[in-house]
Amino acid sequence: MKLPDLMLTGWAEIRAHKMRSFLSFFAIAIGIATFFYTLSILSQRYEDIDQTVKISGQGRISTSTSHALTMTQYQDFLHLLPANTSLSLVTDWGNWGTSPWYKGQEITKMGLVGVLPSWRDVDFVYRLEGRFFNWQDIENKSRVAVIMVRPREKEADSSWSTYGPDPENPTIALEELTYRHNLLNQLIQIGQETFTVVGILHIPPVKDDPRFLSNRDYISLIQIPYTTWYDIQPSYRDYFETNIRIVTGQENTANTAATQTVSFLRSQFGPEEKPDIQFFRDTVKDYIQIAYAELKKMLFLGFIAMIAGGIGIMNVTMAVIYSRTKEIGIRRALGATQWDILFQFLIEAMLLGFCGSAAGMLLGYGALLRTAEDVSQMTFSWWVVVLSVLIGLFTSFLFALYPAWQAAKLKPIDALKYE
Amino acid sequence: MVIQCKDLLKIYFSGEELHALDGVSLSIQKGEFVSVMGPSGCGKSTLLNILGLLDQPTGGEYFLNGTPTARIKDSVRSRLRRQNIGFIFQSFNLMPRLSVLENIALPMRYSGIERKLILPRARELAQQVGLEKKIYNTPQQLSGGQCQRVACARALANRPSLILADEPTGNLDSKSSQDILNLLQQLNQKGLTIIMVTHDPKIAAGTQRTIHMKDGKIV
Ligand SMILES: Nc1ncnc2c1ncn2[C@@H]1O[C@H](COP(=O)(O)OP(=O)(O)O)[C@@H](O)[C@H]1O
Ligand SMILES: [Mg+2]
Repeated sequence: MKLPDLMLTGWAEIRAHKMRSFLSFFAIAIGIATFFYTLSILSQRYEDIDQTVKISGQGRISTSTSHALTMTQYQDFLHLLPANTSLSLVTDWGNWGTSPWYKGQEITKMGLVGVLPSWRDVDFVYRLEGRFFNWQDIENKSRVAVIMVRPREKEADSSWSTYGPDPENPTIALEELTYRHNLLNQLIQIGQETFTVVGILHIPPVKDDPRFLSNRDYISLIQIPYTTWYDIQPSYRDYFETNIRIVTGQENTANTAATQTVSFLRSQFGPEEKPDIQFFRDTVKDYIQIAYAELKKMLFLGFIAMIAGGIGIMNVTMAVIYSRTKEIGIRRALGATQWDILFQFLIEAMLLGFCGSAAGMLLGYGALLRTAEDVSQMTFSWWVVVLSVLIGLFTSFLFALYPAWQAAKLKPIDALKYE
Repeated sequence: MVIQCKDLLKIYFSGEELHALDGVSLSIQKGEFVSVMGPSGCGKSTLLNILGLLDQPTGGEYFLNGTPTARIKDSVRSRLRRQNIGFIFQSFNLMPRLSVLENIALPMRYSGIERKLILPRARELAQQVGLEKKIYNTPQQLSGGQCQRVACARALANRPSLILADEPTGNLDSKSSQDILNLLQQLNQKGLTIIMVTHDPKIAAGTQRTIHMKDGKIV
């Protein structure tokens, strides 16, 4: 029998046995819904990781030293590293924080860090208002500041600010201040020094932030040039670490850069320097592993659901075959081969599997919509759809195979005499 | 020689041995119209099913159109059945959910002929048995006689050389029985070989030769 006829026959049988068909269909739909949901989340997760890796830069390593680097040392260091490497130094932010003042108003304590222009080479997810530091600022130890501001809608989220307001000493959070006044090109007082705000970095909302959790900004900071940081607080040279971030742009040069970093720091600060080099690719690996472990759990559930669905199909196909034994006999008498009978039941089950898959995907999509943090961020992947349909078809095929084969190998005369 | 059997044996082992066919030898020429008569349970249906390759004998030889059929694969049996044999049953054995047209077309669905040729031929056959007005009805909407005519048309679909009819008039009134006999006689005149089991001497009288059976033997 040709495929269109097999499908028409299958469809007619499905319609003729609505209740039985529905049970199979339902079982498969539940299984596929679970799969579709899981795979969509997985696909989203990998896409997120992919985007993170893109924005984080290739060949990224980080380490720290307890010494401050001069700009001459910075240049020497940079020249040792592979060509086109981005080298960023960031000071620790001082664990007691700073209370800046704006027009006689004290601002809630916040972190103050010294950075280099290369800070913005990677992970730059901000909207920049004004300008960022340039090498002139570094050279001149300019009193310029860039402030980081988190989005306003997150105002109520208390997890953002470590420094809560002190009731005895009413201060205003910098965030609050920036919502009220445009601080760009305004003067703020930090310690004894007056700084000009040259730039404002708007932090993206958490749900739009493509960076890994560990790379996000949990606290809004004031940034000033690296050299200025030590200039206004000379004693900090001995107290605080410098965080070093190296991005070579190519994964295969990361190891070289790591070796060069160790030898550079030793040549500058002595053999007792034992920098702990962290490879960003390990972090990525960890994230993928976590995603994978989670996925495995969910796929297992999907798998169980599919087995349940498959057994449903098998059960129904079995019942269908018993009730249609006579029909099988008639078809054999009219010249149907064993293959014809086998295919007839397989195609019928797979048609059901296909419909079940389609319904399951709708169901899974509904579940996604309900659970997604942000629907606009959801990406639609065709491979998930294709895979879900294939899984649905394959399951129904697999579980219908045994009963269909039982039907096919019935002796024509026995089937025909069956009442 | 369309059919040639020698010492056909069919033994059922259910508790004790039952010799449903007990050494049947038989030859049927091309173009013959043969009726088979005998008391109930004497093995007529068993014989017909073996001749139609629906069943296999326990022993003996059977040549269909000169081809030995003893050790052939199921796929070949199916093909021989499809190409050479048309069945007509006492209980019609139509597909209850298919229309008359689709019932007549069904054997062609398995024969590999071009799809677009199937329905025109089915329509032609419906006309040949006088049911062109009923082609979109289902079997439930037809009388017994009409059902059997659908079955006859279906049996002819793949242009077989042999028609096997097991009590085709067993469920019909005498008028309808006569119609079916006339139809079979017409087909026989066009060259088809027909073997028909019947209980009715008047129907058997309409055939060229009658084989009498008793206790699994030809008498
Ligand atoms: N599948 C079977 N198992 C056991 N005995 C059978 C089977 N089919 C037929 N028989 C027996 O074989 C004998 C011949 O049956 P059948 O050929 O149907 O007779 P008829 O068609 O002449 O009435 C009967 O006694 C019947 O009971
Ligand atoms: Mg009988």
